[in-house]
Formats: sequence, C-alpha cells, structure tokens
Amino acid sequence: MNLHVYTEMFYLAAAVLATLGLSLRQPQLSRAAVGALAVGALVHAAAFLQLHEFRLPPRLSGLRGAVSLAAWVGTLFFLSLMRRGRLQALAVIVAPAAFLGAFFGSRGLSPGAEAGADVPLWAQMHVLLASAGFALLGVACAAGLLFLAQRRSLKRKQGLQGRLVLPPLESLDRVNALALSVGFLLLSLALLTGVMWTLEIEGHLWPRSPHANATLAAWGIYAVLVGARWLARQGATRAAQSAVAGFAILLVAVLGVGMLT
Amino acid sequence: MNLLLVGMNHRTAPLALREHYAVAELGPPLAKLVDRDVISEAVLLSTCNRVEAMVCAARPDVARLRLRSFFERDLASGPPPDAGVSLGDALYEFSGSEAVRHVFRVASSIDSMVLGEPQILGQVKDSYRAAVEAGACASILTRLYQHAFATAKRVRNETRVAERPVSVARVAAELAAEVFESFGEKTALLVGAGEMIELALEAMREAGLARVRIANRTRARAEALASRFDGSAHGLEELPELLAGADVMLTSIGGDGPLVLREDVERALRGRGHRPLFVIDLGVPRNVDPRVDELDGVYLYDVDDLGRVAEANAEERRREKVRAEAIVLEEAQRFDGWLAALAAVPTIRDLRARAERIRSQELERAVARLQASEAPREVLEALTRGIVNKLLHAPISKLRGQEDREQGLATLEAARTLFALDEGEPEAEPPQGEES
Repeated sequence: MNLHVYTEMFYLAAAVLATLGLSLRQPQLSRAAVGALAVGALVHAAAFLQLHEFRLPPRLSGLRGAVSLAAWVGTLFFLSLMRRGRLQALAVIVAPAAFLGAFFGSRGLSPGAEAGADVPLWAQMHVLLASAGFALLGVACAAGLLFLAQRRSLKRKQGLQGRLVLPPLESLDRVNALALSVGFLLLSLALLTGVMWTLEIEGHLWPRSPHANATLAAWGIYAVLVGARWLARQGATRAAQSAVAGFAILLVAVLGVGMLT
Repeated sequence: MNLLLVGMNHRTAPLALREHYAVAELGPPLAKLVDRDVISEAVLLSTCNRVEAMVCAARPDVARLRLRSFFERDLASGPPPDAGVSLGDALYEFSGSEAVRHVFRVASSIDSMVLGEPQILGQVKDSYRAAVEAGACASILTRLYQHAFATAKRVRNETRVAERPVSVARVAAELAAEVFESFGEKTALLVGAGEMIELALEAMREAGLARVRIANRTRARAEALASRFDGSAHGLEELPELLAGADVMLTSIGGDGPLVLREDVERALRGRGHRPLFVIDLGVPRNVDPRVDELDGVYLYDVDDLGRVAEANAEERRREKVRAEAIVLEEAQRFDGWLAALAAVPTIRDLRARAERIRSQELERAVARLQASEAPREVLEALTRGIVNKLLHAPISKLRGQEDREQGLATLEAARTLFALDEGEPEAEPPQGEES
C-alpha cells in the first residue's frame, strides 16, 4: 500500500473543502478542511516511516524528498496554529501547497528510490532544517497574502456580504511574524549545516554551485526582511508584502535553480 | 382539533397599543385562557413588537370570540389608549395551516421588524416554556413549537437571513472583529458620549472588550458613562496620550471641524509599535480627518461607510428571505401532514372496529354451519362473500346515492384513491409455508 497516494488524497480533499468553505462562506467546510489536513499529515508521517521499513531507506536529501518533507512540516506548523482559532481560512493556501508538495515529492520517493547512498549526518540535518525553514517561510507568505486581501477589503469599505471570511488582520500578522522568525532561524541553521556538509565532503566551505549561491542570496534578503521587521519596527502591511516577495525569491532560488541545474 | 392564532404586531398596532396589551408574567393569563371545553392548549407570546395567543380549540368559532375578549379583559392594563387604531382593527387571525405557518415565520425571525434578528427565537422559547409550566401546553402545541424551533434552526443554518448585522452599532463591532483577534486585551477610546456610541460600545463589550476610556467636553457626562461601562473618564485635552494606547476609537461629538487630525494619529502610531487602530467616526460633521484612513494600520469608517455596509447586509437578508419562506412553507406542510394523520386516528379506529364486527359475525355464522355438517367449501364461499358484501355495502350505496354532481365526482375520486383502483391488481401473497 503506497501511503503517499492516501496522503495526496487527504491533502487534495482538504484543498477542495477549504476552497469551497471560503467561496461559499461555510465555516464548517473550512473546519472539515483542517480535519482532512490533520489526517493527511498523520498519513504523511506514516508514509515517511514506511520508507524506513526497508533495509536501505531512501535518502531525503534529494529535491523531491525535501519538498515532500517541507509540505509535511508546513502542514504541521499550520495545524499547531489552530489552537488560537479563526485561522481556518489559511487552509485555502496551505492545503493546495501541501498537496502539490506531497504530489511532486512522492514521485521520486518510493521505497528503494535514491537508496543505497551513504548520506552524511550534516546532509540529513541540512535537508531537514532547510525543508522546515522553507515550509515556515511558505506559511508566512500565505499569511501575508491573506493579510493583504483582508486589508484591501477593509480599506475599500466593502459591504460584509459577498466578502470572503478571512482571519482577522491581527491573527494573520501574528502568524506572519512567528513563521518568518522561526523560518529564518531554521533557514540560517540549514545554511550552516550545508557549509559543514560541503567542508566534510569537498574540503572547502562553499560549494560555489548556482543553487548554493542563489540560496545564500535568498538568505541575505530574508535577513534584511527580518531585520526590518524586528529592528526597524516595520508595519504589518509592509511585513506582509515582504513575506510574499521574500518567499517568491526563495522559490526561484531554491526550487527554480535547483531544478534547472 | 383546530389551531387558531389571534394577535397584534408592529405592523398592525402602534407601540402605545402593543404596550397596553403586553404582559410580563405569562402564567396567570394562560390559566384564565385554557378551559378544556373550548380551548385545550395555549401559548402566549408577548414581546415589544407583538402580542399573540396561539390556541388549540375544539370549537373554533367560540374560541375566536373567547380570544378577542381575552385581549379586552385579561390582557388590557386599564382603559384602552388613544392610539389611533382600535383593538378590533389591530388584531389579526390565522387558523389551521396559516396559523402554523405564522408561528414558524415568527420563530424563524422572518416576520420580525428587523429581519433575521436573533432575539425572537429565545422569546418564543420562553413563551413556550411558560405555557408548559402553566400546564397550558399538551401534545399538539408541544409538537407545533418543537417543529417551529427546528424550522428556525434550519432557516438559520441553510440561509443567510441572520448572517450579517444590520444595525450601525453591530456593523462597527463586526468590522472591528475583522481587524482584531479578540477584544480580550483591547482598549476602546470613546470621544463623546452619545447614544449611538453607547450602542456600538455595548456591542463590543458583548464581544469581550477589556478596557474603556471616555473623553468628553463635559467631564460629568464622561464620568456617568464610565461608571456604567466600568471605564475611566477624561477630558479632551488628554486625547493625544489616550490615542496612543487605544485599539479602537469611537467618536461622536459636536464641533465645527475634525477633532482628530492625521498628524495626531501619525504621532500616536509611532509610539504604539504599529498596532492596528480601528476608528469609527459617528460624528456629523465628521470628528476625524478623512486622511487618517490613508495611514497604514489605520481603518477608518464614518457613519456613511457603516450605513452603506448595514444597508448592503439588509439587502442580502431581504434576498435570503425568499429561501427562508420556502423552508417555512415546506416545514408547515410537513406539520400539517402530521396534524391530518392525527385527525384520521378516530376514523381509522372506527373503521377497524366495524370491519372486526363484520368478521366476527360472519365467522360465528360459518362455524354454526360447519357444525351443522354443511360442505366446507360452501361455508367458506358464503363466509368470504358475506364479509366482502357487508364491507362494501355502505361505500357502494354512498357512491350510487350521490345527488350533487360535484360532490359525486369528488366521492368517486376519493373511492378510487382509497381502494387504489388505479394502481392495478395487488399481487397475491404466497400461501404461508411456501418458499418463494
């Protein structure tokens, strides 16, 4: 039984329910989407464990494995936010992203695929931290997008009818700040472990690959964004715009360059 | 048993008349109304917008007169006021299916002055509870009101008739909830002390608003309001400092020009770490410089903005009313079906007793003939023929004896329906013990 297929099914169901919940203004559908995401995350965890039933576990240091891991971590982070309520609508971005991540990741992640390689500890840690950081910055981007949509409708003074039921601005800003801070920290640690990995296998600190250079540039941009948020006391709107722009750059740097090279 | 409703509401009676017949204690008048002979069950509803008595009556004509005198003698608090409308003109009547539908519409809040307002369902529940406690409610009205509550729940779940607020105060509170996660740690600053501002504050207090600060030209008025809302009173000169600590600002104060300028808010924002500020300006002329809305993190709504939102919400409720009416009609028909089935019970009982009597008589006769050693087949023939003839004698005589053409056709139609003559021959049941 390929648990990745079931994971995709639950994430897809969550995406459909979240979209319907938001467009039809039915909060119970949004809550059902969160439930489907939670089940999907459980099955996803079981799918990762299943890979290790085999003598030669597949390495997760490949791009596909890392994307699948990022989808899982992002989903878990989103679910952990549910304790403070009224954020269900965020599932409208998280669920499709989780589905796409799981779908893309599972295509190269069957038991035995990429197996046999002797993966150093630094590499495993690098991928785990980078995936988690990537996922959290993705959630910050999602919160930023919804913040901008909610702000726009409030500023336009639209009637409440026909409007999407989005989370309060304050909640979205809180998610943005938390995800940005923790995500940046994880991304920084991923860079550090990446350097250690390179040092161990190549004997120098920086691999000078396009992927590594693009990632370093993205990290630099994020460092500026986080500094602006916490040191320059940037406003919530600018922070939301920055989170969206920053993640777009990171996507290009990590996924785009990674796939091209 | 007949259902009858007599009452008045905001459309048929002015406030002076409604308050004259309104009652606070429902038990005593109910005790006077229910008298087993004419009215077996009753529920009395008395709110600021309606006074209605719903009864279950054995004799509807007498009950109708009884209900009108009930309003005149038992509900009236003294001589009738000069309200421009007499009691006779103000009272409306519904009976049977119409009464059922009216109760469902009232409980579902589609007969209310403010369409979709949530209080009416609680008031109907209270009036039903009072009737039960007074012993005035039995099986039929219990079933009717339980069905009404279920219908109201369905209307609320399946339509948007009550989804969005339509009062300016509630709209303000709802918009604030789109900015803030909760009101638990929030501070509201009130500039002025008008009625509108109080209503908006009450709506936010219900949502859990933590702190209230009131700034007014007349400090005594601010103190009076502050004591009501457990807040603090301030003079207008403290406005700049108060603004820095506020999350929501409500203004409604007289004056020639804006009291709060863009520069004031800009300065306050710098000292508050870019926390959002929600401003509701209910003043006419406006108390807050409109350019404040250009600032990031500030959401300014004036009285026109709120009015537009409230009107758009009301328009949506009106559109949803059509769907709500369809649900009410469907549920009322379902209840009518139950009531009709209830009315059929005595007839079914009589029909069965008559058939049983015929069967017993024919069986006695057959047993006697068998004991006289007559051929069993002939006895069985006579037995079954006798039962069929006697069962069909009365309906066939009625069918042949109809003189009025219209009624004759209706009876023929009823007979064809009752005996399922157009549904083909029923399949013969297999003899017992035979495997199919």
